[in-house]
Amino acid sequence: MGKLKQIVAKILNIREDDVNADLSPDNTESWDSFNHLLIISEIEKDMGIQIPIDKVSEIRNFADLCKLVKGD
Amino acid sequence: MKKLIDYLKEYKKLKSNKDTVKIRVAILSSFTTKGLKEVLAVKCKDIGVQAEIYLSDYNQYAQEILDNNSGLYEFNPDLVFLLIDTQTVLGDAYFNFFEKKEVHRKDLIMEKLDSILSLVKAMKKNTDAKIVVHNLMVPVYSPYGIIDNKQDPGLKEFVQKVNLGLNNSLQADEQIFVYDYDAFCSRYGKDKIVDYKLYFLGDIKLSLDYFPELCDEYLSYVKPIMALSKKCIVLDLDNTLWGGIIGEDGMDNIKLGPTPEGRPFWEFQKYLLALFNRGIILAVNSKNNLDDALEVFRNHPYMVLKEHHFASMRINWNDKISNMKEISKEINIGLDSMVFVDDDNFNREIVKDALPDVKVLEMPTDPSLYLRTLVQSNDFDLLQLTYEDRKKGKMYIDQRKRQQLKSDTTDLTEYLRGLEMTVTIEQANNHNIPRISQLTIKTNQFNMTTRRYSAEKIKEFAASKEFLVFCIKVEDKFGDNGITGAVIIKKSSDSWKIDSFLLSCRIIGRKIEQVLLNYIFKKAKQKGIKNIIAEYIPTKKNVANNGFYKDNGFVLLSNDNEYDFFGFDTSKKYSFPDFIKVLEVDNNGEA
Repeated sequence: MGKLKQIVAKILNIREDDVNADLSPDNTESWDSFNHLLIISEIEKDMGIQIPIDKVSEIRNFADLCKLVKGD
Repeated sequence: MKKLIDYLKEYKKLKSNKDTVKIRVAILSSFTTKGLKEVLAVKCKDIGVQAEIYLSDYNQYAQEILDNNSGLYEFNPDLVFLLIDTQTVLGDAYFNFFEKKEVHRKDLIMEKLDSILSLVKAMKKNTDAKIVVHNLMVPVYSPYGIIDNKQDPGLKEFVQKVNLGLNNSLQADEQIFVYDYDAFCSRYGKDKIVDYKLYFLGDIKLSLDYFPELCDEYLSYVKPIMALSKKCIVLDLDNTLWGGIIGEDGMDNIKLGPTPEGRPFWEFQKYLLALFNRGIILAVNSKNNLDDALEVFRNHPYMVLKEHHFASMRINWNDKISNMKEISKEINIGLDSMVFVDDDNFNREIVKDALPDVKVLEMPTDPSLYLRTLVQSNDFDLLQLTYEDRKKGKMYIDQRKRQQLKSDTTDLTEYLRGLEMTVTIEQANNHNIPRISQLTIKTNQFNMTTRRYSAEKIKEFAASKEFLVFCIKVEDKFGDNGITGAVIIKKSSDSWKIDSFLLSCRIIGRKIEQVLLNYIFKKAKQKGIKNIIAEYIPTKKNVANNGFYKDNGFVLLSNDNEYDFFGFDTSKKYSFPDFIKVLEVDNNGEA
C-alpha cells in the first residue's frame, strides 16, 4: 500500500507516516471534495485501475480506499 | 511532465516578490475549474510574472458580470478569461435540440450568440481588462448521427454558427478576444479531454490532465500584455536551416529542398519566411566561413531565406555569446526580445547559461520535428498587429543599410543629413491610437515617464479638451519607419505638462526629439502658454536619457528620489536641425 499512501499524502499535503487506516475527510482538513476526486483520478492513472462511480462516494476513509484498490 | 498535483504543491511554495512584474487575472467559468488558478500562477512564475488570480464561485459567471459591485470588478483585473461550455449555454436544448422546429432552431442561434455577446459587452462597460472568451466546443456526436449535416440547422452546424457569430461580432474589438477552445479540444482529442466520471461527480468538464495545456494557451495572452513577446529569431545555419555542414559537405550535398531529408528544412524556412512577413525580425548566428554560407544563400536553388531577410548576420568563428550580444546591439533590441534556434545542445546550453534573458528554443534532435516546435511556440503572439508590426522585419533591414551609411560617414550631422528624413506630425485619430498605445506599452529606453496606456485610455485623452496627443511618422531614403514616437500633454490654463514623451529605439539618436519639442513649444505659444513642465521618472532602462530635458534648455525645478521636474519658458528661442523636413497633418480622423 506504499504507493497508495504516497498518492494520498501528496494530494492532502501531509506526511506519509500520518496516513493510517482511520484517515478520513472528517479528521483531515485538506481532504475536501475536490481532493477526493483528485485522489480517485490519480489512483486510477498511477495504478492502472478503474474505480466505478458508485464506489467513489462509499469511500469513508483510507481503509476503504485500500479495499477498493485490492479489489475486495 | 508535471501534473496537476505537482502544480498544486508548487503553488503553495510561491512567494510574493515586490520586484517582479505583476498581473491580475480573473477566471470566470460555467463549470468546475478548481486547480486552474494554481496551475496558471505557477506557469506565470516560470515566465517571470507574479500572477494574482481571482476564481469566481462555481457557475456564478453571469451574476459576477452583471452585478456592478461584484467581487470580479472589485478585484480590478488586467485580464479576464470567460470559460463557457456548450452544454451550459444550450441548456435543455443540448439534448432535445431536434424537438424544436427548424425555425426555432435557427432563432436559437441568434439567441445564444446574443446571450454570450451581451455578457462580454456588459463586462467591457465595467472594466478596462482584456477579456478573453472561449468559443464553444463543437460536439462530436448528434442524435442524428451521420445525417446531422442534412438538418437545417443540425446540432454541429448550430454550434459552429454561434462560434462564427462570436468571431464576426468581435473581430474589430480591441478589448475582447475569442479563444478558439474548440481547436484546443480537437488538438488533444474531444474524446480524451472529458473524464466522464469526474464530470458526473464534480461537473469537471475539462479533464484535470489538460489544465497545464490550457494554461500554456492562456500564457499567449499574458505575454503580450506584460510586453514579454519576442521580436527576433536568431538562427544557426548548419543542421538548422539546412541539413549537413556546408564547410564539409559542400553545396551539392547539404539537405534542403523537395526530398524526404531536405523537406523538413525547406518547410522550416518557409514558415520562418511567413513569420518574417508578419513582422518577426530574423538574424543569423553561425560558426562558419562567411563565403561558404553566403554561397548557399545566393546560389542554392531551394534556399527560401535570402540575405535580405536578415537584419543582422554573424557568420564567423567567434563564440555564440559575443555574436548574440553584437546582434542585439546592431539591431538595437534587448536580449530579452530574442529567441535562439540552434540544433546543437552544447550551443544552446552556453547561451542559456551566459545570457539568461535570451529565450532558447528546445530543438528536437529529429529535424522532422523542427517545424512543429516552432509552430507551437507562443512567444510571438501579439494582441494586435499594427502596420508597424507587419513591416518590422523589413524596417530592421533598412536599419542595417543605415548602419552601413553611418560607418561610411564620419561626421554625425553629415550622416543625418544624408538620411533625408521627413517627420510627419499627426494628431491622435482612430487609425493611429492602437499604435500610440502600443508605443507607451513597449517603449523603455527613450521614454521619459514610462506611463503605460491602453488604447481605450488614449482614446479618452484624445477626445478630452484637457489633453493634446500626437505622434510622428518617420521616413528616410532607406524606408518608412512608421509611427515611432508619441507625446501626451496635459493642458491647464497657465501651463502645459508633458505627461509622456517617447521615441521608439529604432529612431533614437537622430535629433527627431528636437522636432517634437519644437512642435510642443510652437503649439503652446499659439495658445499663449508660457510654461512647459516636464518630468523625468528614472527606470533601469531609461537612465541613458536622464539629461534630455536639461540638454534642451529646460531648467530643473525640483527633484526628489523618484521624479525630476523641469520647466521651459516658451518665449525662449528654440532651434531644431534644419536637415529634418517636417510635415504637420491636422486632425482628420475623429478620435
